[in-house]
Amino acid sequence: MIATDQYRVIQRIRELVTYAFLILLSIVMAFPLLWMVMTSVKEQREVFTSFLPQQLDFSNYERVWHAMDLPNHLGNSLYVAGINVAIVLVTATLAGYAFARFEFPGRDWIFYVFLAAMMIPGQAILIPMFQYLKSLDLLNTHVGLALSMTGGAISFATFLMRAFFRTLPFELGDAGKIDGCSEWAVFWYVYLPLARPGIATVLIFQFMGVWNEFMFSTTFLISPKLKTIQPALYQVIGRYSVDYTALSAGLLLAILPILVVFLLLQKQFIKGLTAGAFKG
Amino acid sequence: MTVSSVRPKSEDLWMTQLKKFLLPAAFLFPAGFFLAAFIAVPMIQAILLGFQRWNGIEPATWVGLRNYENLLQDKVFWQSMGNVVYYTVATTVFQTTIPLLIANILNSGLRGSTAFRFLYFLPVIISLTITGLLWRMIYEPNFGVLNEMLRSLGLRDWTQLWLADRNLVIPCIIAVSIWQSLGFFMMIFFAAMQGIPQDLYESASIDGANVWHRFRFITIPMLRSTMTVVIVLNTIGGIRAFDQIWVMTTGGPNHASETLGTYLYRTAFGALGSSNPHLGYATAIAIVILVFSLIFSIIQIRVGQVNEVEL
Repeated sequence: MIATDQYRVIQRIRELVTYAFLILLSIVMAFPLLWMVMTSVKEQREVFTSFLPQQLDFSNYERVWHAMDLPNHLGNSLYVAGINVAIVLVTATLAGYAFARFEFPGRDWIFYVFLAAMMIPGQAILIPMFQYLKSLDLLNTHVGLALSMTGGAISFATFLMRAFFRTLPFELGDAGKIDGCSEWAVFWYVYLPLARPGIATVLIFQFMGVWNEFMFSTTFLISPKLKTIQPALYQVIGRYSVDYTALSAGLLLAILPILVVFLLLQKQFIKGLTAGAFKG
Repeated sequence: MTVSSVRPKSEDLWMTQLKKFLLPAAFLFPAGFFLAAFIAVPMIQAILLGFQRWNGIEPATWVGLRNYENLLQDKVFWQSMGNVVYYTVATTVFQTTIPLLIANILNSGLRGSTAFRFLYFLPVIISLTITGLLWRMIYEPNFGVLNEMLRSLGLRDWTQLWLADRNLVIPCIIAVSIWQSLGFFMMIFFAAMQGIPQDLYESASIDGANVWHRFRFITIPMLRSTMTVVIVLNTIGGIRAFDQIWVMTTGGPNHASETLGTYLYRTAFGALGSSNPHLGYATAIAIVILVFSLIFSIIQIRVGQVNEVEL
């Protein structure tokens, strides 16, 4: 009996130490975010006096909403992401289906070409893309920016969609064909509805990728008015250099859309993001 | 019924053969078009541009390997290279071991594990730009909360210039990177740990294995391929590092946090368009980034993880 008691005490202590560690880590992880939230609801002269605000002051949000032109920049981001995600979803679903379902000569070889495209870093094509968009008259346009981010994204999304279609049973399509469906009908009526979870994953992954993108966005959009949210925030930081209440409120407003999606679709979101673990 | 009686006419045979090509071609065409237009064309142009001298305005001149020869002589290039190695090695080590340990703790059937995972994951969803700007405020020497906290704790001697200190700037950036990516790699490890058969642990416990033994002799070996993926991802991420560093320091002070990415950007687009751009030279730097990240991408595919992706 004594031995089990002792064992229990050791277990208990171990548990306490583990929790203490996890809570300490939580504080470290949450502190920057908490600090941002706290700062955003302070009065400016309060910033350096205490961690907690004396009273909640939401005027910073009102102040930056228009001063930073946030509705415009958030709208720009939504527009660019919308175009890009639509292109990526349609093309990658079709291509992923072809790789998973059809037998055709050179299939593996073509698939490797798709894989190779996924390994090219954005930096490698940054400069030619700039010139290329310029020659197409698409530099400094939202469509141009959306298009510039399709290449690598499509190859990765195709890769994910292929993997997803391969998990669906082959017999379904064969049964459909016996019933007289065309290949297109098999795809459209049989497989596409089943592929919804895969499509959702790619959608979230791609949307978040475009929403958070910085390098292409800051380079290919030049007019301040046209900027998407990330470069827009980078652009205003000089103007608000030490006005931390304004900056914190601005950053928080920019995080909000992604945060809402995350809270609503947590499971899909984490799946979508960690699927990126397999991106080359 | 004999076989010959159902054999289609030669015309039909030809049609079915054609269909065999046409159908996949139709499905692949849209993706192929965008891939060709927005990856293949710029990639080929990049390779060519690496052999040219060009300021973006006058016609480009072919200079052969001159850009690459100049890179080898370029002190800032070597400094960037050194920084990239420093940053990549450190982030890879910390961003593999720390998430692995935390995932292991959270996988031990602890109550509240979901809440901790949620909390640690939060920074992952925020863009590198925003976290970069946030930490820039935190690190700011005069008004930043970090020095403010040290001062209020009576540790005035510990206050630093942080991002403005040439020796501390990279460690500071590494800390932000660890903070940002911890939840991401933790989730990958956690998901992989869920796939380890529970009876392995049970039978090990019966044999008297303690927590460490189980971690060392079951978890680690079972996660070998996941670990390789995480290491490779970190390595590639390190080689390509740009967003966060550009936003926090633009490679400064005095190139102390310059990476290949920031040096490329500065060379091509200048710091606010001041200097005249060297697009060929910048592209040569881009090709260096490409080659190094390709090497590690190929390792990743070789590991075979690519075929095991599940949604």
